[in-house]
Amino acid sequence: MNGLPLSALVMLIFGAAICYGGITYFLYRAFKARYK
Amino acid sequence: MAAIGSAIGLGNVWRFPYIAYTNGGGAFLIPYFVALFTAGIPMLILEFSVGHWSRHGAPESFKKIGKKWEWVGWWAALVPFVIVTYYIVVMAWCFSYLIYSLDLRWGLNAESFFVSDFLSLTTGPLEIGGIRIPILLSLLVVWFLVFLILYKGVGRIGKVVMITVPLPWILLLILAIRGLTLPGALEGISYYLTPNFSKLSDLNVWLAAYAQVFFSVGIAQGIMISYASHLQKKSDISNNAFIVALADSGTSFLAGFAVFSVIGYLAMSQGIGIEHLGIAGPQLAFITYPTAISLFPVATIVFGILFYLSLLTFGIDSAFSMIEPMTIGIQQKWRITKGKATAIICLVGFIASLLFTTGSGLYWLDILDYFFSRFGLVLVGLIECLVLAWVFRVAFFREHANKTSDILIGRWWDVLIKYVVPAILTILLLAAVYENVLKPYVQPWWVVLLGGVTPCVAIFFAACILMKQKTKKEETS
Repeated sequence: MNGLPLSALVMLIFGAAICYGGITYFLYRAFKARYK
Repeated sequence: MAAIGSAIGLGNVWRFPYIAYTNGGGAFLIPYFVALFTAGIPMLILEFSVGHWSRHGAPESFKKIGKKWEWVGWWAALVPFVIVTYYIVVMAWCFSYLIYSLDLRWGLNAESFFVSDFLSLTTGPLEIGGIRIPILLSLLVVWFLVFLILYKGVGRIGKVVMITVPLPWILLLILAIRGLTLPGALEGISYYLTPNFSKLSDLNVWLAAYAQVFFSVGIAQGIMISYASHLQKKSDISNNAFIVALADSGTSFLAGFAVFSVIGYLAMSQGIGIEHLGIAGPQLAFITYPTAISLFPVATIVFGILFYLSLLTFGIDSAFSMIEPMTIGIQQKWRITKGKATAIICLVGFIASLLFTTGSGLYWLDILDYFFSRFGLVLVGLIECLVLAWVFRVAFFREHANKTSDILIGRWWDVLIKYVVPAILTILLLAAVYENVLKPYVQPWWVVLLGGVTPCVAIFFAACILMKQKTKKEETS
């Protein structure tokens, strides 16, 4: 196999966006509130 | 931080990737996130709100709601305490394997080493066998470590989790990066992530997603109530719940890469299909992974150490968080010192763990885990939800959370806690009963009764007895 199928790549981006995008957003909110 | 450490445990590494793989691959992420946002996060907000409001552990919190409901809190504290008695044995195995990694002691046949040499597995649960001294010694080390962390109280836990939360994450990241550079890794990742959308019409896939979220986030164990009782008055409850739940999901998602890249490499090296390899539970950690490590082209020892160290550090904060509700419970009930309460609980826990160090330990571990994860936890979650939402006023906890939170929760949350979550938990419970009626878990039936049903019923009665005990304050008045 040369690479990931496109559908797997889409799911990878989907999962990463929710998990890591989400945690970054909520951590940003927490830090913003703390140092406001 | 401690709540994140509690939520992230061994299950993130050895359960989530397998569940995702068998339930539609990448497509599983859709029901998983739906479950996370409709059950996991709402329940976390509820437990955080209860602990933050009562400023007490689970038993005292439920007592504050209504004297006759104290047993629910004790039950919620007892279930993780039973779970930790075998969970810590798995950590003891990890500790032994961490040492074995130094000379790759499992050799070329990791399965035979694990089953025969390491566990000395007997022919069945009734042939108890002797205590395995290497496991016993590792168990002593792990229990002592847990005692040292807990006996000084929440201050020391705060310091420990500053290391035990980020460290396994870094190790897991290194493992995933190293795994992805191995030949055959992409084949493994493609197994993990290629979506099979037809599975989304299968009710069992949705149930698996809810079950995974429910067990992984660490709700219905009194843990989040205990931890939230230490939160500062102004702590943002909703934001904290989102951070804990998403950190847990992010770890599970990352673990899939560390696991499946190595599985892909192993399948390619041995010329067999991935579906023929053990990719879940102890089989993954103590048979499949060591086999792959032995085949690595370079840095085999380093890789072994990194893997078992990450499992140990993932497990340690989950382990002490499972003990904490019981410790806080007896400390607050009888007004004894934290050190004394921790010593009592650790000693009782250690004695109970001894069964799992015997030749039949794996059988009993399997039976108890099956019943406590399918019945014990779900039942506690259901009763907790019913008491808090129906007996007490769920809107009260929403208003309490909104007082300190930036993100305001609407009435939709009441609907989720009152109707959606109890309905899902009831379906999960009925599905487990139906599955057992159709195909009993293990034979003979009285082993199931002895190992599974009896402890579940016993802790219910233990919770009632603990509730009836008079507190020191009540004795003097």
